[in-house]
Amino acid sequence: MSAMIGLLIPLEGFPPGVNSFDSKPLFPELGPSWYWVNNHLIQAVIATVLVIGFWLWMAREQKVVPGKRQFFGELAYNLVRNSIARDILGHEYRRFLPYLLALFSFILVNNLFGEFFLFMFPTFSKIGYVWGLALCSWILYNGAGIHKYGLFTYLRKATLPEGVPVLLWPLIIPLEFLSNFIVRPVTLALRLFANLFAGHLVILVFVLGGTLLLESGQAFLVAAGGMSLIFSFAIFALELFVGFLQAYIFTVLTAQYVSSAVAEEH
Amino acid sequence: MDERSGMDAGIRAISILISGLLCYGGLGWLLDSWLHTSWLLPVGLILGMVAGIYMVIVRYGRSV
Repeated sequence: MSAMIGLLIPLEGFPPGVNSFDSKPLFPELGPSWYWVNNHLIQAVIATVLVIGFWLWMAREQKVVPGKRQFFGELAYNLVRNSIARDILGHEYRRFLPYLLALFSFILVNNLFGEFFLFMFPTFSKIGYVWGLALCSWILYNGAGIHKYGLFTYLRKATLPEGVPVLLWPLIIPLEFLSNFIVRPVTLALRLFANLFAGHLVILVFVLGGTLLLESGQAFLVAAGGMSLIFSFAIFALELFVGFLQAYIFTVLTAQYVSSAVAEEH
Repeated sequence: MDERSGMDAGIRAISILISGLLCYGGLGWLLDSWLHTSWLLPVGLILGMVAGIYMVIVRYGRSV
């Protein structure tokens, strides 16, 4: 029984800490050259398959009068299309919509893995996965800017806002360059990573600490452990919300970066 | 719409301030360790802060 619970809810290893986030190789018997196939990589791949499958399923057999399935799919699609892409990017939004929709649903599914059976781990609390996403967004918004203005015009627009006297250019250009090309994508990645890392750590503290107290056998500590486990439900609910919010914010900010890269005036 | 562009503006302002500190503070630190002095780092930090605040004013100071 407890082995099955351990399989379903893989939260273990007291005390929780940074080492709770270590990846476990799935095939340790194959030797170190196969260590890259770890549980978190598989989790990200499963999320990819789920996202692709979900949208393929939603796009199948579309009707003028939508059924329940198509209605739900359009609801999810319209959230990204209307309230993110079209509001921020204006009339050019169609070109960026596939990326934004894929980004949003991929981050959302991975964040929800933090609260679901079998996984119980948000993939993006490993920072490497977040760097990958931020790199994709970085390439997208710089590529969009370069595509629209050409390399040099884009660089000038991005590093030199209007209304700066010529005397201050050498002071301002490195600053704006650092701000637009390094600090903004780095903060974009760190925001997602830190939220999920901290959230998962809080969940670990509540659940593992509560379990430890429950098993201690002293009446007062058992009561405290029970309270801790009950409150962990509130933390789980909070994490569901944070996971959704961070997926939304990451997508909104990517759209904002694209929009400021292709903006007419600065 | 307004709310979100406000969020972007705020994040951008913060990233400009951080960049100012990083850029000129880092430059001052490098020069300090190169020239074996100790006063260029604070000068760089203050200069970076000033440049960052100036940039925020240039970008967002005008009334919209």
